[in-house]
Amino acid sequence: MIAFYTLLRKEVKRFLKVMMQTIVTPFMSSFLYLLVFGVSLGSKVDNLHQVPYLAFLIPGLMMMSLMNNAFQNSSSSIAVSKFSGDLEDLRVAPLTPHHLLLSMGLGAVVRGAVVAIITYIVGIIFYYLQFQEILTVKHPLILIYFILAGGFLFGLLGVCAGFWARSIEHIAAFSNFILLPLLYLGGVFVSIESLPEWAQKFSQLNPVLYLINGLRFGVLSVSDVSLENSLLVSLLGILIMYLLGLLAIKKASFNRW
Amino acid sequence: MTHKSELAALEIENLTKCYGTFEAVKKVSFNIFPGEVFALLGPNGAGKTSIISIISTLEKLTSGSVKIFGVDIEKETMQSKRLIGVVHQEIVNSGFFDVTEILDFMSGYYGIYKNSERINYILHKLGLYEHRQKKVKQLSGGMKRRLMVAKALVHSPKLLLLDEPTAGVDIQLREDLWNFVRELQSEGMSVLLTTHYLQEAQELCQRIGILDKGQLKLVGQTKEIIKQFSLRKILIKTKTEESHYEANAFFEKKDQGYYSYFLPDNNYLGKLLQELSLKAEDILDIQTQEGSLEMAFKKAIEMKS
Repeated sequence: MIAFYTLLRKEVKRFLKVMMQTIVTPFMSSFLYLLVFGVSLGSKVDNLHQVPYLAFLIPGLMMMSLMNNAFQNSSSSIAVSKFSGDLEDLRVAPLTPHHLLLSMGLGAVVRGAVVAIITYIVGIIFYYLQFQEILTVKHPLILIYFILAGGFLFGLLGVCAGFWARSIEHIAAFSNFILLPLLYLGGVFVSIESLPEWAQKFSQLNPVLYLINGLRFGVLSVSDVSLENSLLVSLLGILIMYLLGLLAIKKASFNRW
Repeated sequence: MTHKSELAALEIENLTKCYGTFEAVKKVSFNIFPGEVFALLGPNGAGKTSIISIISTLEKLTSGSVKIFGVDIEKETMQSKRLIGVVHQEIVNSGFFDVTEILDFMSGYYGIYKNSERINYILHKLGLYEHRQKKVKQLSGGMKRRLMVAKALVHSPKLLLLDEPTAGVDIQLREDLWNFVRELQSEGMSVLLTTHYLQEAQELCQRIGILDKGQLKLVGQTKEIIKQFSLRKILIKTKTEESHYEANAFFEKKDQGYYSYFLPDNNYLGKLLQELSLKAEDILDIQTQEGSLEMAFKKAIEMKS
């Protein structure tokens, strides 16, 4: 338990030491997304699911920044440790693969949750300025669940990418060519109902769609997919990523780059 | 020092490590006794780091077995990890944290929550206490090396693995580090080290193993190995200069009036004097120099397996 807590503490302390990069930069990008897409363009877009576009966008951006930051936290932690050589310490110390996965996964949840909450706060400020009312959370427990599940799942994905990567380019490539398309096509900015039918079917294969809509349901009580499916996909995703994480730790290298 | 009846601090049997088709370690077997400082010597690429990496579980062995105080590293990995501290050859440059934070995290990984007393003790011992709030990148090369030693000691291991801990380190620091190793030994810690400084290994280690191309060429008491595999140097200054002094089979050179001879251990000085027909009154001075580990090392490496 002490080993798990120590590694979790280290993961959280690490991103707090570089807050400009881990907190302020995501805050700026959420601020700009909300201002440009939510406020400026949003006023010219019809309501989606009977809610203003700005309200529709806020949970999408929350989940996008949550996933991005959770992934970045664990993958960059491992990548930096591979550079500096201190990843070898984790191999040599009596830490089990479960210690590594749980503490790195939860460290990612903390960073992702902080960024998601900041995005929500910026969002409700913009929403209040535009509509003079506060955007309240409709289902707080569902919101909390999807913050935890989304952060943990993408934290685990970052662990896998970090361990399997043989250079920092591998992580960047994974992030740019796999993660980013999944996020952008996962319903952050638009409802899949606005897509052509073939694209809707394609989107339904994207697991990120279920996570984004799960969190959107928690905030707004609207979703493109059923809550049951969102819960199922999130749990299945965590299970698969956890098993892949165990495999990555067992098979991949702890040696320095 | 015979400890045969005690549980070995480290017991390696038929250890083999392959990287693809390349056999880096070939059926190596040796023991380290509790409280002993043992040096594993060998040229670059001999397999020393591979062996240390296997003991510290950084690398998996291909075949054979490794036990630390009777604990098999493959069957009881977590327990064996707690028994060892390891100082890797390459310096770790962890950028985010200061010295105290790094040692605090390291303690936590070993299940020790509040370890400031031990951490401060080690920091004082290694001369790092004044630098405890510095980040790694602010430390000099020698301090970084000491920090790595500190990391290996926070959980009070019973066996310390030092993989070339003095590589690229100045003379003073090397001396300090070896004195610290002596201190750890006096506290009962067993130490396995690799080094290219043979003179230091000779002074520090009770026993050594000489490794070459993955094979253990020799293992035994340092003094015995030197005695067996090196030559004693005899320097004789005589009243007169005779040509037959230089014709002797053991003659090496003449320098500043001294005739020098290399004697194998089984050849007595008396026999040499007899061969040179030298009487006590013909000799002005006589000096002997014992063989060195360096000489024994070279001979061992040249030996066919």
